[in-house]
Amino acid sequence: MNKFFNPFRYIAGGKSLLAGLLILFLTAVTGYFSHTHFPDLISIKLSPAFPLWYFVVQVFTNWLVISIVLYGLALIFSSSSVRIIDIFGTQALARFPYFLAAVTGFFSAMSKFGRYILYTRFHQGEPVDLTSTDVILVVFLMMLSLFLSIWTIILMYNAFRISANVKGGKAVALFITAFIISMVATLFLSRYYLSLVAG
Amino acid sequence: MEKKLPIVCPSCESELKVNSMHCESCSTTISGMFELPLLLKLSRKEQDFILDFVKASGSLKIMAGKLGLSYPTVRNMLDDLIGKIEKLQNTPQL
Repeated sequence: MNKFFNPFRYIAGGKSLLAGLLILFLTAVTGYFSHTHFPDLISIKLSPAFPLWYFVVQVFTNWLVISIVLYGLALIFSSSSVRIIDIFGTQALARFPYFLAAVTGFFSAMSKFGRYILYTRFHQGEPVDLTSTDVILVVFLMMLSLFLSIWTIILMYNAFRISANVKGGKAVALFITAFIISMVATLFLSRYYLSLVAG
Repeated sequence: MEKKLPIVCPSCESELKVNSMHCESCSTTISGMFELPLLLKLSRKEQDFILDFVKASGSLKIMAGKLGLSYPTVRNMLDDLIGKIEKLQNTPQL
């Protein structure tokens, strides 16, 4: 259980950076094929057929923004000698659950549910009939997405706590600060990327 | 069985001092009041960590490999140990 929520006790630095970069790239490519995008630090959403570069840039932006903010805070508030490779490497690896989230987009029930919402709420597209199996699958996938988001946040927090050697209330306060700053920054950048996609 | 050197009083949890030392060879016993050396005030696990660290030529990377832990985890352990040693050094002796 400890390795599940805090693998950074055993892996950090170059190894986690290499594994993390591979995971980020796979997340972007999987998201492209399953039409799942991550428009900010933690959101998981279905997307139209955007170009591949959008998925790659968005996934890497989410990782870079939080890593830069956390590294800055660690330099200011940590009494240890913090290595940049530990912060960036562990934050990259911490986003592993989002690879699984991208895979969930392959279930047709989710896109069907998306079309259903579009038609019933916004009167767009064609009418869609949801079967009880679809509803059960959608509820399960939504709960799974929520779990994956919570898992990612716990991993990101533990990655920061270990890499920057901060503890207790100080670690929580710094992480929440970095999280809010990164949420705003990634939302802003996401809108910019979407405007480029829209042309 | 390896005996553990007690460093705190089991009754009131105050720090223990050395009261007597004995020579096994000639049975000479010296009595007095001596402070425990700083390193002996650390736990056995912490003493082992210091020994391993010295044997690894002060390399955290080698230590991390030996303990099967990540570099920042070992650095954090060292930083915590440094903090504890500084606290012990700054504690006034009664």
